[in-house]
Amino acid sequence: MDPTHFVQINTGSPEPIYRQLIEQVKRRVAAGQLQAGDEIPSVRELAQALAVHPMTISKAYSMLEMEGVLERRRGLSMVVAAQHQGAQPTADRVELLRPTLEKAAAEARELALPAAQALQLFKTILEEASR
Amino acid sequence: MSPHFPPASTPSADIRGLSLHYPQGPAVLDGLDWQLLPGQVVGLLGRNGAGKTTLLEALLGLREPSSGQVQLFGQPAQQLDDATRARIGYVPQHSDLFESFSPAQLLAYFRSFYPRWNETKVEGLMSRWDIDRDKPIRKLSGGQKQRLSIIRALAHEPDLLVLDEPVASLDPAGRRDFLRELVGEVLDRGATVVFSTHILSDLERVAFNIAFLSQGRIALQAPLDELLEQVRAFTGSVTEMAALMARLGAQPLKRIPLEAGRERVLARLPAHAELPAGVAADRLNLDDLFTELT
Repeated sequence: MDPTHFVQINTGSPEPIYRQLIEQVKRRVAAGQLQAGDEIPSVRELAQALAVHPMTISKAYSMLEMEGVLERRRGLSMVVAAQHQGAQPTADRVELLRPTLEKAAAEARELALPAAQALQLFKTILEEASR
Repeated sequence: MSPHFPPASTPSADIRGLSLHYPQGPAVLDGLDWQLLPGQVVGLLGRNGAGKTTLLEALLGLREPSSGQVQLFGQPAQQLDDATRARIGYVPQHSDLFESFSPAQLLAYFRSFYPRWNETKVEGLMSRWDIDRDKPIRKLSGGQKQRLSIIRALAHEPDLLVLDEPVASLDPAGRRDFLRELVGEVLDRGATVVFSTHILSDLERVAFNIAFLSQGRIALQAPLDELLEQVRAFTGSVTEMAALMARLGAQPLKRIPLEAGRERVLARLPAHAELPAGVAADRLNLDDLFTELT
């Protein structure tokens, strides 16, 4: 897999880079874009492609391994773990959106926005993105 | 620990109680302690005039401290033997290259000083970074001089790299390329890297650890991941804040008094601390941390 397109990172975020990597890999596995046995870039490849400290990458990979998303193979690159045979059911995937939406909901309350208007905005954004 | 970073015994740089005054001036560095370990990439942050350049120069033994010790690889920084000196690479803030030399002459000159010299790397970077080998250095642009200074510092494969605002004259593509080289140095040799920059997005990528220089000391050094996850800003009355800090076991880093007996407190929570329901806390990014802690 081309390491330059494997994941993207945003600097300037309160979310540490290793967390961004973990969440992106999980979402892609949940969506079935990454499936059991798919090889992922090595620590070295991804560190150099992203110009990120290798410890940041190995930290993310170790946590993904602990959570059963990735598997380590001796002397070979890591792969997506065997149980991830395809896209997860929609009900499970939508749960992955919860933390982001909880944050958005808290901000909507701070802004004293009516729920209907906040929902309308989310709908508009979804439709714009799929166009 | 990953296999790339075996736990190290001797710090690459070890600074104890370093104080430094300019003649008739106040202390620039004031009892500063700092350790840099092999494989660490440490970003040094501080306001303009905080003394970052002075600190990096003192670390290299280029400035005589008023008091305190600096050791590099276990030797006093001002009395390094040749073998230890050859393990250090330095990119100063202002180019100190011989202006009448050509890049080719300059590199040939420096090559004679070092037991190790990676000619393949030098040639690769000279071509990739598009530096004219035979033009006098004074005719190069600021960015080209900075690149040449970086090549010179990397050529002898140093184990400790000290970089003072190394990317100030580089464009974004040049900076990314430079950061990749730094990552390579860490991957290939477990090099220790310390660098100061005002471009925080660069620091955020490569610097696993961040050190804040404030009032002549390293006020805080920690992995950036931990700071982003553990530092929060709270606002409330002074008594509420004191109770909250005690309840959370949080370490206050900064207090900003507000009107009517209220204050804003920046605090570091213990690892994996859960905030009680109903307590509002703001997360911070690296820019916020820089503004608040330097």
